[in-house]
Amino acid sequence: MRRAFFYVLVGVAALMAIAQPARAGKPERRGKQVWSGLLVATNAARPRPAPAEMRRLDPTLRRTFGYNQFELIGVSRKALQNGEVNWLASSKHFSLRVDPRGVSSDGYRVNLQLFQDRQVLLETNATLSKSSPLVIRGPQIGAGQLLLLLVVQ
Amino acid sequence: MFMKTFEEKWTAWVDDELSDAERAEFEASLDDRAAAAAEKHRAHKLGALLKEELQPRAMGNEEFFHLQLRNRIAAETGQPATRSAPQLRESWWTIRRLLWAGTSSLALFAVCTFFAMRHEQAPDQSQYLTQILNARVDPGVSPYATVSIFQTKQDRVTVLWVDGLKALPSEYASK
Repeated sequence: MRRAFFYVLVGVAALMAIAQPARAGKPERRGKQVWSGLLVATNAARPRPAPAEMRRLDPTLRRTFGYNQFELIGVSRKALQNGEVNWLASSKHFSLRVDPRGVSSDGYRVNLQLFQDRQVLLETNATLSKSSPLVIRGPQIGAGQLLLLLVVQ
Repeated sequence: MFMKTFEEKWTAWVDDELSDAERAEFEASLDDRAAAAAEKHRAHKLGALLKEELQPRAMGNEEFFHLQLRNRIAAETGQPATRSAPQLRESWWTIRRLLWAGTSSLALFAVCTFFAMRHEQAPDQSQYLTQILNARVDPGVSPYATVSIFQTKQDRVTVLWVDGLKALPSEYASK
């Protein structure tokens, strides 16, 4: 009897512990993981499969940008911290600088700067939402196109 | 005052209730004083014996006796015997059942809260899209660059489309 009572209590505690992550959809003070990737989109006769992290978005990227192959040249997964400047995905010539500007009810406000070597190529202020990836179309590189992909996880 | 009969005087004499004068007068009237004294002594002895024997005795098993009595009355009258002691009624809500009921209610509440919170979260997550508040390209570096923003229906992707940036050689594609 006491053992059964103990199990029931443990079960209730476990349920409450599970219920906590249900709030995960809301932005929190502590930053969430942001996956960022620098991609070079090209057209290839035999396109290689997209990297695992962006396989879900592969059809949308193909349709939107008109390329059939996406190669990651820089990738990062980092937790955004308020008041801390973060360097996310970077390659030999490109890098992404993120300055978190706080949390609002609809997402994470950030200031993004895309650097080409030491030069700011593009600057934007955005509100990132977990359910909505951000893709930035960068300069043309050879026969391909530089894309920048940000996903709040 | 009326005159007492002999029987009354005799009874009073035996009970020592006569005054000294009355007792002397009564004893003088007796034919056989020794027999009367013996009779008085026997009466006193009998009284003492009766007093001793007729004392109510304390019962050691009073409750049992009452129970027997009630049972007999009940058997004769055909009604169930009522107990004189207060009877404790047994309730369905025992301590164990109360504990179980409390725990079950708590568990049910936790489960309902869990599902309610999940249900509430679903539209919350889907209603927000990534928004571009502003975008700027350095005109000194890319004077003809233009920026446009749109969202795809599938996957809810927000696209910041920059046109007119300076094209770069393929070496820039290196990791």
